[in-house]
Amino acid sequence: MEKGILIAVEGVEGSGRSSHLQGIKKYLEGEGYGVTTIGLQSSQLLGTTLSTVKRDLVFQRITLFLAYATDLADQIEYTVKEALNSGFVVLADGYVYTLMAWGLTRGLDRNWISDVLSFAIKPDLAISLVAPVSTISRRVIMKNGKIDPLASSIDLCINKDLYTSFRNHVKTFQKYLLEISKTYGLKVVKTDRNYEEVHKEIIKYVREVLK
Amino acid sequence: MVGHIIAFEGIDGSGKSSQAKLLRDWLEAKGVPVYLTEWNSSEWLHESIKEAKKKNLLTPLTYSLIHATDFADRYEKYILPMYKAGFVVISDRYIYTAYARDSVRGLSIDWVAKLYSFAIKPDIVFFIRVTAEEALRRLKENRRKIKPNEAGADVFPELKPEEGFLKYQGAVLSVYDKLAPIENFYVIDGQRDPKSIQIEIREKVSEILWKKES
Repeated sequence: MEKGILIAVEGVEGSGRSSHLQGIKKYLEGEGYGVTTIGLQSSQLLGTTLSTVKRDLVFQRITLFLAYATDLADQIEYTVKEALNSGFVVLADGYVYTLMAWGLTRGLDRNWISDVLSFAIKPDLAISLVAPVSTISRRVIMKNGKIDPLASSIDLCINKDLYTSFRNHVKTFQKYLLEISKTYGLKVVKTDRNYEEVHKEIIKYVREVLK
Repeated sequence: MVGHIIAFEGIDGSGKSSQAKLLRDWLEAKGVPVYLTEWNSSEWLHESIKEAKKKNLLTPLTYSLIHATDFADRYEKYILPMYKAGFVVISDRYIYTAYARDSVRGLSIDWVAKLYSFAIKPDIVFFIRVTAEEALRRLKENRRKIKPNEAGADVFPELKPEEGFLKYQGAVLSVYDKLAPIENFYVIDGQRDPKSIQIEIREKVSEILWKKES
């Protein structure tokens, strides 16, 4: 059987990750592909635990990073490997590069981050979704009704008000994500445009890796 | 002012936990701020790890990462702040336990060392060395049943508990033996009488805590 394809969609919350991932999924299913999705914080091993405890761990960056890595590893070991072996397309709603940007944003050591994450299967295609901070803030507020202190990295900018804190966080995160994209050859897609337009551009990249 | 980290390493049944506790009690009695931390004891991860082991969910990779997360949690929450505040932190198992257990499960020891590179090296590592046979003899003497994790049930699922214990602990011991000279372990023959072992440990710890300063 032909081996499947792994596509990673990377970006900060509000970058359009989940909605464009759904777009890719719909497209691939329409084309007759079997699609499996994974995402950060959704493993059987730690997914639920992580979502309940991460609020208590905001100042334990190494711990939280390793917990996310464990969560990702569990999904790779079970879901991803199996799906790829069965010839499916695996879509990752956040993968190693999102984690890398997360860690760099929090000042973790660059070499340590990439050493730890070297266990991960390299994706066939990785897309970085980026947008201006103002777009991202509006999306997040519209989706959640507010800015969550945790999502705005309470641990990074504790002295600022919520919005400024959030801005700084998204700015730093995206700066790192762009840097990572250059280093690892991710396709950067700007999402502050009409959904269909963005979708088309993403699908163009997806088609390039489909066999 | 910074504190000290004193680590204990050895296979299951080597007696290192009792030695670590005796040292803690002794320092406490002397009025030294002391904190004892044990492997695999992070409050919020404990249940997840136990559950995963019971259901046999862990692969060598996730076994390694989840224990690293547990260590990091205790490290960032207790070990490092207490060290910085001048405590003597006694660690019943430290990063070398992961080096040994993860490499026995097939991971590269270099990768594991990198994974734990955030942790500061202890002032001293007491390696309480007993053979797997001796550790098993003690378990039997105390009429204690061998726990699946002590028998390396995930590594040697086909072996009976006793055989598994000997093989798994033997493999862990040989990694410790390789690490001992590289990481400058203070090796103690664990076959000796526990009291004389504790005396030696206290002498060594006194040297580290007090003699150097004077």
